[in-house]
Amino acid sequence: MSFFGFNNAHNTAATGFSQAHDPFQGLSGRDDDGDALEFEDTYDGLGDQLEETKDSFNDDTFGDTSDITAAPVGKDFDFFSQTAKVQNAIEEEHYLYNRQQPPARSIQPVSQPVQQASFVQPSLTSAASYGYTSQGHYRTGYEKYGNDKYGGDKYSNEPVPELQVDASLWGVAPKKQTQPDPPVSQPAAPSSSAPSRKILSLEEVEAQMRAQAKAAQATPSPTPHAQGPSQIPYDPAIQFAQPAQQQFIPPVDHARQALPIHVLQRPQSNQAPSPQPPVQPAVHQRQPSSTSVQPTHILQNPNRLSGDAAIMGMHQHSTPPVPGPSAPPTQPSHRHQGSFGRQANIITHPSQVSQLTEEQKAAYMEQEAKRAKRNHKIFLMSRDNGVMTPQDKSFVTRIQLQQLVAATGNPNEHGTDESLAEDFYYQVHSSLQGGQRQNPNQPLNNFAQTYLFQTGNRSGHMRRHRGPENHMQRMEQQVQRAVEAAKNKPKNKQLVIEGSLGKISFSNAKTPKPLLNIKRTESTDDANRPSSAHKVVSAGDRKSDLRTIERIYTILMKMEDHDRVLPPAPTSDADVEGHQRGMRWSNEAQALNQELWSALRVYDEPQPGHPHPFVALLSYNKGMKAMNRIFRHLTQEQRTTILTLVIVNLDKLDVVVNAQVTSAAVQLTAAMRENIHVFSNAVMNTLFNFLNELDLDIVAGLLSILSKQRLDVIAKSRIGASMITMILSRAEIIKVNVGNTHPSWRAWDTCHTDFFDRLEPTLPYMFPGSVNTGDDIYVWQLLAALGIGASPEQQQRLVLAVKDRVMDTVALSKTLPADLGAQRLQNVNLFMRSIGLDVELLQ
Amino acid sequence: MADVAEEAPSVSEPLDLVRLLLDEVVFVKLRGDRELKGRLHAYDSHCNLVLGDVEETIYVVEDEENDDEVKTISRKSEMLFVRGDSVVLISPQSRIH
Repeated sequence: MSFFGFNNAHNTAATGFSQAHDPFQGLSGRDDDGDALEFEDTYDGLGDQLEETKDSFNDDTFGDTSDITAAPVGKDFDFFSQTAKVQNAIEEEHYLYNRQQPPARSIQPVSQPVQQASFVQPSLTSAASYGYTSQGHYRTGYEKYGNDKYGGDKYSNEPVPELQVDASLWGVAPKKQTQPDPPVSQPAAPSSSAPSRKILSLEEVEAQMRAQAKAAQATPSPTPHAQGPSQIPYDPAIQFAQPAQQQFIPPVDHARQALPIHVLQRPQSNQAPSPQPPVQPAVHQRQPSSTSVQPTHILQNPNRLSGDAAIMGMHQHSTPPVPGPSAPPTQPSHRHQGSFGRQANIITHPSQVSQLTEEQKAAYMEQEAKRAKRNHKIFLMSRDNGVMTPQDKSFVTRIQLQQLVAATGNPNEHGTDESLAEDFYYQVHSSLQGGQRQNPNQPLNNFAQTYLFQTGNRSGHMRRHRGPENHMQRMEQQVQRAVEAAKNKPKNKQLVIEGSLGKISFSNAKTPKPLLNIKRTESTDDANRPSSAHKVVSAGDRKSDLRTIERIYTILMKMEDHDRVLPPAPTSDADVEGHQRGMRWSNEAQALNQELWSALRVYDEPQPGHPHPFVALLSYNKGMKAMNRIFRHLTQEQRTTILTLVIVNLDKLDVVVNAQVTSAAVQLTAAMRENIHVFSNAVMNTLFNFLNELDLDIVAGLLSILSKQRLDVIAKSRIGASMITMILSRAEIIKVNVGNTHPSWRAWDTCHTDFFDRLEPTLPYMFPGSVNTGDDIYVWQLLAALGIGASPEQQQRLVLAVKDRVMDTVALSKTLPADLGAQRLQNVNLFMRSIGLDVELLQ
Repeated sequence: MADVAEEAPSVSEPLDLVRLLLDEVVFVKLRGDRELKGRLHAYDSHCNLVLGDVEETIYVVEDEENDDEVKTISRKSEMLFVRGDSVVLISPQSRIH
């Protein structure tokens, strides 16, 4: 055969690669001593002789893209749906054949040798379509039809019209206007079909079979073929899905009996449609064959069909069928077409256009123009179409979805620890920003929803188009499934399947699959903790301090996380679950509090030569900074304990011992200055806030503790002085609010007197540096606090103690610029006013 | 700590030691003959660091004069992000009292 330019001069007795298997080969050979050939024996390597250059007829086969009306074919061309349209022609062939040989069908014996059928289905289809080779001749694959209205016995010993694929099948007007009839006159240029072989027509084959069957059984079962051909029901599905078996199965019921053979012939154009075996019948394989004449519509472009089909349908139904140039056989097939509804009403060949009336023609042309326009538009939009297959697209989309779901997390898990752990700073930031966004997860989920929604929309929009419909529907389902799966995603990161050797870890981009799974049992953890705690105490060095601080921070973060999941208060007493939730929460909080408390090591005994472990933590900036957060999570009792502990150890504090003021203008190191700054900001602030809630008796107790410490050391540091001021001023505030009639005032007075006596020697040495240094406001504040609560006798002693400094400062202020001097005087005045004096009196 | 092994619960990976240096002044050696000294604000598993009050020292060998003199360039930054792939060493800086 010359369709692809093969060399036809090869051994015609040899079965070529392109030759379809002839299922009737054995049949014919039985009569005519034809060779039963094995493929392996006869293959002559024709495939190697393929010449790649002879593709001049590709246009005929695949349509001409340079056509006037048709826009260039896009890359998204759907060959399959186009193939489906050929069914039309198949049906016509079927009808045609039926009409010509009505009674020929029903006598097929079961005993026909159809052993090849199971593995040569496609080729069988084409074989059945194109007739069969007769004795001694082997098909080349694309033998031409006989021109004798498909029924005669003249076969392709003479050149026959070349098999051409109608380009209009693909929605492109054919370049070459093939003559509908007579078929012989077709410009079959390369038609050099094997001249030496005789092609056996279907009828002939069946006649053979009939003859054999008659000979073998002599039991012809005449079929009542009373129905007109056009009413004969048929089932194309069976026809193509199981060609061999179905065709030769003896009729089981009337409907089956009436099954005509579908032949891949196209009467009008005398062209064979594309030889691909129709695939879609697989879907319909076992449909009841009796009445269902509705052809399959799947994978067809409804849009594309609708235009042509509408016209054709109108034409077919409104006017009597116009006899085509191909005369008698065509007419019934046209009627047949009409009966199939839209499916059958495609203009598959331009020759049909000539049969239309003027309006129809105009309408048709309009439709054509529309279609061409649309095609052009599609082409413009689809330059890059087909770069990704639907599988690629869904693959990419799946990845994106996975990441999306992983990023947004389970929508049902708003505000849980997982989302916090994933992007803690964003969550905290957005919660600090507060306001409109109640839920920090909201924007993300909105995004996800929008994405999903748009996907759905797009799918809905695309529904009008052909190919993407299925794809987009699948995508939509995929999206839903992905979301479902994410919702149902197991909470734990591992899954142990019974019988498996290992664990299956779930991973995503955010939480990669852990390669190492080191199991740390709680028991060993608990066992180690006390021992390690003891160790830490015994070795109170810098590293263990740092470790303790980190541990405290870890616990703090846990507690802060825990605070975030505080369940709402139970709505009523009947809300058992609410109560239980509250119980669980507070139990958990209690446990964390204990953990924190033990980490703080407040009750640990200090090692000789080392500061108390808790006080040691206050030597580190981060330890100081933690204090505010620690206090938030402690009970009142625990806070009091800590405050007491700090005061007891005040003279051992890093920022006190190492920050002693001297009369000499010795600057503290920058690091110490910073430490003092941090301590007063973090620790003192916290303690001050707490102290302001304490009662007088506790304050008095603190003062008595303080007076037992090395007051000289404490008072000579900025932090110590501030601490004293803090306690004294708190007492004064209580006095103002409550009045000094309270019985506990007596205790306070005793404490205060004792304290004053002990502090008095230090008073002149509290000031930092010389007078010129300045920066002594905190000392004046302490003196003021002392002065307010002091008795007149104590005030006298106070004045005596700091008189020099007062006088120096006043003198200095005169030499300073006005504003600076005023500032210094104001500081001094803090003290002077507290004892009822004023610096003005000194000037 | 004399016995690190007994501290296993709190130190399970090397970076747990780095964690102890948070908010401390650290000395960081980088590739390309650079050294940093600053307060460690943050780090991650890639050894990406955020340092505050950083003093950076770059050692440059100048062989133009044929005497291979090592010159140091120093500069300060208020805040610095250090990409982890250049970090060679992180060490605690002894405290200045």
